[in-house]
Amino acid sequence: MSETTRLTVWRLSIIFGILAIVETSVRVGWISTFFLAAPTRAAVVLWEQIIHGNALWLTAITLFEIAMCLTISTVFGVLAGFLLWRYQLIGNSYEMLLAALFSSPVILAYPIFLVTFGRGSAAVIALSSIFGLIPTIINTKSAFQNANPILLQVGASMNLTRQQMFRHILIPAVAPTIFSGFRLALTYILKSVLGLEYVAQVGGVGMWLSDAAFKFEVEEVYAGLFGTMLLSILFLYLINRSEVLVRK
Amino acid sequence: MERAEKNSAAFAAHIQTPFAVQALTLVAVVGAWEFIGRTGVLFPELFPSVLEILQSLWLYISTPLMIPHIQASLYEIGGALGLATLCGVPLGILCGSRQRWLEVVEPLILYAAVVPKIVIFPIFILFLGIGVQSKLAVGAIAAFFPIALLTIAGMREVKKVYVDVARTVGASPMQIATCVYLPAIAGQVFSGIRIGMGAAVTGALLAETKIAKAGLGFMIVEYYGQFRIADMYSLLLFVFILAALTNWAMKRLFARLSPLARVNQDAGMYI
Repeated sequence: MSETTRLTVWRLSIIFGILAIVETSVRVGWISTFFLAAPTRAAVVLWEQIIHGNALWLTAITLFEIAMCLTISTVFGVLAGFLLWRYQLIGNSYEMLLAALFSSPVILAYPIFLVTFGRGSAAVIALSSIFGLIPTIINTKSAFQNANPILLQVGASMNLTRQQMFRHILIPAVAPTIFSGFRLALTYILKSVLGLEYVAQVGGVGMWLSDAAFKFEVEEVYAGLFGTMLLSILFLYLINRSEVLVRK
Repeated sequence: MERAEKNSAAFAAHIQTPFAVQALTLVAVVGAWEFIGRTGVLFPELFPSVLEILQSLWLYISTPLMIPHIQASLYEIGGALGLATLCGVPLGILCGSRQRWLEVVEPLILYAAVVPKIVIFPIFILFLGIGVQSKLAVGAIAAFFPIALLTIAGMREVKKVYVDVARTVGASPMQIATCVYLPAIAGQVFSGIRIGMGAAVTGALLAETKIAKAGLGFMIVEYYGQFRIADMYSLLLFVFILAALTNWAMKRLFARLSPLARVNQDAGMYI
């Protein structure tokens, strides 16, 4: 058995071990079903929602919101990051402001976005894009700032034009760092979208969870939570895989 | 003439600093806000006068109006941070001290960290009710991950030779944890606590906006519900200022407490 397989087996054993303890606790009656749903019941409810309910449609809404946020933060973030690198004074001034904004609890301002954009996906997209924009801007600026000068000197010695230098030297040199920014942005967007959907009760998967909690449908709450966790984990897995591919 | 040129050059140099650009930006934003608010060209209800917002903010600072809500939120955030530190640091040390455990557990923690913690709130409501405890729990679970992950990151940087020396002189596992690991990872743990504090603030206050009886997040949504937009903005500003001041104070405190200077000297020279 290879080392990776052994580690995976250990991790799966921990996860299924915890699930088995919870399942036993509920089945034996140590914990009331009023508080906790058996994992198998939650999985069945999730499956029923996927097949007969509207879980797929809600997931599609959430994915659409995430995709929109990522597009906005990528287009505007990379452009802004590039401009902040080109104009050093502005870049140095705004980088601090952006970092301060990022560390403040901006998500609490969601009522403003609900008033401005209405109670719908637009409000979720507008606010969550901010969480994607800031890391993209900061990482893009940092990527251009820290591009290896030797590469640029090699390009200059080969008499490359400005366009060639940008396309063949600068872009490949900054791509991995910018991608790290995307990774961070996507993680924050995912958290923000799901969190806002739940809190404001709008949009997709988060709204489903909120509705279930409101109706005290315990099994559905756990099914929604299970689905949210799966979606988050799947996203992180895909990001990690694509980062490996980009670095190759 | 020459003097005027010198003066204008000095002024230009003064203006071309990050601080001046930041100040100018602030003035421009406030000016634009006031212009939009007064002319009503864009969402008239959404841009109350800056003066109105500041008056409302002054009311929160100078009167005991917000005291019960501040107390509720501080209790949740403080409790959350304490609980997260008590769980996150020992777990981080435990996992970080055994390479095999670290390889197994770290990816699980990393994957769990991505899940938005606010979605676990309904479970906490089921178990703990709608009082402060459920918000404290959301804040704690939000703060736990940065603290545990940064403790693990700190443990990775501890030189093996320190632990070997401690073992050679017969130190117990507890002594190794408190006298070797903790001082060596203090900087990272403090960073984790500072980041965790931000996560606890966001988690607890966001949960308050969902369902609560008191707290700053609860009041933000109350004002939103009553469409008291100026009061809502001023309360948001109040929360941002409070969070920034706490972050700054923690940074200063941890910079004083952190034994980084001693670590940087390379303790190996004493052995």
